Amino acid sequence: MTPNVKGIVRAEEGEIYDIELDINILKANERLADENRKMLRKYGVKAIDVMGSIGSGKTSLIERMIEILKKRYRIAVFKGDLTTVIDAEMIARHGVESVAINTGRECHLDANLVSKALQRIDLGKIDLLFIENVGNLICPADFPLGSEKRIVVISVTEGPYMVIKHPFIFMDADIVAINKIDLAQAMGVDIEKLKHDVESINPKSVPVPTNCRSGEGVSEVIEALNL
Amino acid sequence: MTTQIVQSVLEEAQNHGAKRVIEVHLILGSLTFLNPGQVRFWFKVLTKGTIMEKSRLRIKRKEGTVRCDKCGYQGNFNYKDDPLYHVPIPTLLCPRCESMVEIIEGKECTIKSIKMFA
Repeated sequence: MTPNVKGIVRAEEGEIYDIELDINILKANERLADENRKMLRKYGVKAIDVMGSIGSGKTSLIERMIEILKKRYRIAVFKGDLTTVIDAEMIARHGVESVAINTGRECHLDANLVSKALQRIDLGKIDLLFIENVGNLICPADFPLGSEKRIVVISVTEGPYMVIKHPFIFMDADIVAINKIDLAQAMGVDIEKLKHDVESINPKSVPVPTNCRSGEGVSEVIEALNL
Repeated sequence: MTTQIVQSVLEEAQNHGAKRVIEVHLILGSLTFLNPGQVRFWFKVLTKGTIMEKSRLRIKRKEGTVRCDKCGYQGNFNYKDDPLYHVPIPTLLCPRCESMVEIIEGKECTIKSIKMFA
């Protein structure tokens, strides 16, 4: 500024503006999920999102499915957890590719984390991908990841009201595995009632009673996945 | 989520040469797992020390809407009363013809607009 100029008056200074934005925070995740889906399709990889409550048996279900499917498919697993690689190692012992996704604090996986994990594996060398979400029946429902099918795992040890207490996650589920059926009697839980709850919320989803320790029901889950 | 909301607003406000953000207008769908009270709390915490501090957060709730491709119904969710639990359970069945419906609204978390001081 030359010494003679006393200052600049900007017309917009001191004004109040309304700015229209329309930024959908969840849309950003949806867009990334679509990109993941396209990428997986390009390589002909079928991706299955496995969600469910803590300790319901998500990892066990994936392990049992791997045992049956690993002769027919080249499999990889993304294993979401806040911390630790305990489960990811457990899965790697089955001789399939395993990537741990540690969220740190977040209670769910998002499409961005999955997209980073996708860069870690050679998609040309697999044809089936299980994405195990962090144990949670709430937040994962807000964050599609780009998978083709979604399984929700619950178990009878969580009591008889697990489904009706968390209706929204079941609206997005293709298959609902009701696990630990061997303990149903001890827990006083009626499996038929749980199945009825799932069907009344989302008639399109398939409820499958399972016991992931003995393997009971696992082939029905595989059948429902068209694998 | 609130971190993402605050970050997006800060970015836009700076792009528009804002000195201070006065108001943020947010739309929350009732099918998201975001609780307005909690969003407000974190908004207050996260905006401290930024040009958004003390800005007003207006939250508009958007109800869940479904559409039936079979009979053309468009509107609220159908709730089924379960005699065993005595609670209404939301269902994806059309209230008019009992076919499967599609969710078309209610999953939004949208920053609609901001009011800023330049």
